[in-house]
This record gives sequence, C-alpha cells and structure tokens, in this order.
Amino acid sequence: MRITNSSSKHSIRKRGRSVDILINQHKVTAFEGELVSTVLHAEGIRTFDRKHKTGNSSGIYCGMGICYECLVTIDGVPNIRACQTPVENMMVIETSDGNKS
Amino acid sequence: MNTKTELVVIGAGPGGIQAAVTAAKFGVDVTLIDSSFVPGGQYYKQLPKEFLKDNKNHLHKKAEFLFTELKRSSVHVFMNSVAWGIFHNPKSGLWQVKLQCNNCSSQIEAPIIIIATGAYDRSIAFPGWNLPGVMTAGAAQTMIKNQGILPGKRALLSGSGPLQLAAAANLVDAGAEVIAVLECGSRLLRKGISHIPAVWGQWGRMHEGLGYAGTLVKAKVPYKLGWSVIKAMGNEKVEEVVIAKVDEIGKPIKGSIQTHDVDALIVGYGLTPSTEFFRLLNCEMKFSPSEGIYIPDRNEYFETSLPGIFAVGDCAGIGGAELAMVEAKITAKRIAWKLGHVSNDQSFKIESSEIRALKKEQRFAKMLGQVFTIPQGLFKLAEEDTIICRCEQVTLSEVNKAISYGAQSVTDIKTITRSGMGNCQGRTCGTILAQILAAELGKPVETSQFLNIRPPVHPLLIEQIEENAQPEVTG
Repeated sequence: MRITNSSSKHSIRKRGRSVDILINQHKVTAFEGELVSTVLHAEGIRTFDRKHKTGNSSGIYCGMGICYECLVTIDGVPNIRACQTPVENMMVIETSDGNKS
Repeated sequence: MNTKTELVVIGAGPGGIQAAVTAAKFGVDVTLIDSSFVPGGQYYKQLPKEFLKDNKNHLHKKAEFLFTELKRSSVHVFMNSVAWGIFHNPKSGLWQVKLQCNNCSSQIEAPIIIIATGAYDRSIAFPGWNLPGVMTAGAAQTMIKNQGILPGKRALLSGSGPLQLAAAANLVDAGAEVIAVLECGSRLLRKGISHIPAVWGQWGRMHEGLGYAGTLVKAKVPYKLGWSVIKAMGNEKVEEVVIAKVDEIGKPIKGSIQTHDVDALIVGYGLTPSTEFFRLLNCEMKFSPSEGIYIPDRNEYFETSLPGIFAVGDCAGIGGAELAMVEAKITAKRIAWKLGHVSNDQSFKIESSEIRALKKEQRFAKMLGQVFTIPQGLFKLAEEDTIICRCEQVTLSEVNKAISYGAQSVTDIKTITRSGMGNCQGRTCGTILAQILAAELGKPVETSQFLNIRPPVHPLLIEQIEENAQPEVTG
C-alpha cells in the first residue's frame, strides 16, 4: 500500500513518471524510483521466492541487499534481488509462484 | 580494465563520504565506491532521484552538507558498483579492489583502502522468523521513508535499541496500527543511570528520541520493557505472533504469553558490522561483546593490522554516523600525510577537538552497547525444525547434529551443514550459529570464532568473473 496520508511526513508528494510493468503476466502501473520489492509488496505479494530444498516461501527481509531472500526473475534473468532493483518501463517480473497464479 | 588511484573508499555512507571529501581536500586522488544508486548509505539514505523533485527537506542538515561537499569535491564517485574482493598485487605492491559495475573499470589499484561498509540489522532465530511479512527494522524504515510504502496495516515491533522506536513512530505516522513495541532489555533504567554522563551533550539525539516517544505516546502504543516475540505463525506469511515477557536471562515467562493478529512483524535486535572484507583479508580481529562478533583491531588512526587497510564507522564496531564521521576525518588526514600531501608534520596530528568528539561519540556508543543487550535466553527460542540458515534451509536440529559430531567453531558447522554457505554468505546466520554453538558447548561465544569468507563477497554473474580473469602471460 502506498502511503497516501498527506499529513504524514513520509507521504511522498511526487514519485517518478508512471511506468507499465508486468508482474506474473498481469499489467501493473508503478512509478520510476520505486523498487521491484516495494511494488510487489504494494500489490499484496509476499512470497517472492521459494527455496529449492524445502519449498518454503521467502520475501522481503533485510531490505538492503544483504539477505538474498527477495530473489525474483526479471526480464528472464533469475535470482535478481528485488530490493536492489528499481522498476523500469516494460519490465517483466516473475515470482516463484508466478506461473501458478 | 585496470586503473590506479591513491585511495579507494568502499562504502558511501556518512563515514565513507566524509573520509573521501576530507582526503580529497588535502589533494589525495580518491575513488569512492558504493553499491546503491545514490550516495548516503543506510543512515543518510536519499530518496530515489526520480522522487527528489518536490520532496526537498527530507534530509538531515548534516547529510545535505556532506552531499554538497561531495559534489564540489574532486572525488571520483562510482555508484551502483559492487566491490566484491580486495587482493594484494605482489608485483605492484598495491591493493587491488575488484568491482562489478556498468561504467567503471573492473579493478582499481591503490596503496591505501578505506573500508566503510557499515552495518546491517542483527537477527535472532525464532520459530517462523523466515515467514514473509517478518522483516527487519531497516527494511521497514527503507520501505516507509525511502519508498513511501506501508510495510503492514497492523504491525508489531520486537527487538532492542532505539532504532525500533524510530521505525515504530514512522509506522504510526504513515497510518499503520502499531500493536506494541517490545524491548527485550528489562533493566534499561537501572543500567541507564550509570551512563547519564554519556547521554549528556547528545541533545540532538535526545530531541530525536523524544520526538519518536511523543508520537508513540500520542497513538497510545504500548512500549513493553522485558518482552519479546517468541514465535511467528501463518500460512505462507505472518498472520499471528506470539509474544511473552522474558526473565532477566531472556527465558519466556509462562503465563505471560499473548497472541496477536498482525500482517507485519518488524524485528531489530541491534546491528551487525559488515566485516566481510576484514575476514577476507585476514586482518587481526578481536571479539566485541556488545555486537557479539569479531571486529578488526585498529590503531589510533583506524588502520587495521594490514598496512594501508583502514576501517571507519560501523563496519569496525557499531558507533553511529557521528562517530563514523569523526573517525573518517582523522583517518583521511593521516592518509594524506602518508601519501605525502601534507608536508608539515604538525598539521596531520589529531586535534584535541577531534579527540573530544571521538570520546563523546565512543561514550554514547558504549552506553547503547551496554544498555541494549540481548539476554541469552532469546538465542534459544528456535525449535528443532526452525530454519537457522535461510539460504541453505538448514534447521536447528541439523546444526545440533553437527555440534554432536564434534564441531568446535562456526566454520566447522558450515563445513558439515552448509549453514552460512549460501547467497548471503552467513551474514544473517553467522552470529546466530556462534550463539547456538557456545550455548551447546557451555563456552563463551567468542570461542565459536567467525565464518571464514571467500571472494566474491557478493554473488556475481559468472560472466563478470570471466571478464575479470585476465590470464597473466609471463615470458
């Protein structure tokens, strides 16, 4: 959820230009400067990746590129840290559960 | 491509920027490297440049000043560049920094390196800590302050230290319902009294802290001393948290247990210095009880045991941005003198004002380290099937089995279980493994040692390594 509460000191008055991206084949509008991780979060997606060994879900944990829990596939390239990647127009993002949804 | 410079600074947080601009002022040729898109690090984090227009005044005055200084300086800045290794080139006698980036060389050589890689949130392992929706205080702060996105509508915070107060206040301000802030230390006041001299003079910090407290009081958010989360539950994401009052050694007290519905659990048990490069280089290390890990040994100019390798800021022991900047100034001046840019021997000396500033910040850091400690019992919350190493999905029972096989150090556990061998290279589980091993063997935690580290210190695409591997042709 984007913070819209205008009295909040963290309400961001102006984001970047709007861009169209594909998240698991669904078209979503996001804004330049936003990260893949936070856009997915705002779209209600919590499971970004699944662990090979256990199938456990993982998502945003450290938020600063340390933990590698938020790996997603971007434009066909797997294992990209969502929290370190800003969205770009026409970007194609897939989570581990993407083909199931 | 190989380039040469006089000084490479790794990390563009408050310490790294201050070191770079100070050295540049003395005439040193400086290259500053950081993996983010904009300088500032975690503490002076800037909004994405696409947001900046119409969103002025979001920064500390000091940060603004520092960024202006950097812009006006002669420092070569490479952002979005990951330093993945430091090696010694025996031919040139120089240090070699290996980089992954789009528009800079893949390696830079310099006689002197300043490591200013900062710190990240320290984790403790409890059942369900790996569920999505459980995130660190740092992650929550970035989401709110930097991205304007709410981590959850109903959040609970658990941890230790002042950072989680900041995160809680920001959540309230952004419109979330905050159920409680749990501080695992129960004797803050008693411990705090003896540290009043350390807080004296820290007016800026006290003002900031009171502001957060005010926000929480106004929203009637309970601040529970001596409480901690003990379990998180939910189907594929956190939906419920179990919290309990803990006794002085951190053991949950039966009868105090409560369950709350949440959609976000924010955890912040202090910070862990990013010591990867020091371990990679085999710098001499010493155990620091307040962070529970080994940090590099440094002299009065913040040089490590390896000549030419300096360390400033949180990566060498948690002290905060102010301390990092004082250290950076002293280090930079020393380096300028070493490189022959300061001819007058007097001008490189540490000034008494710098010593005073250093002492003041060190006192404050020591106070935080001693007041906000994690009681031992909280390292025993994990159950048999709790994941300890998230990357390699290693459970507590697997770690315990390794210990029963005779593991004596965290590296032994890594060899047996793969714990700490995954993508994050033990950044998350390293300190947890040390605590589990020490408790199991009944030894002090420093006997667990630390995880060895191998390059690259961040995972890389294989093409990047190939590009870097230039075969030496010797005739």
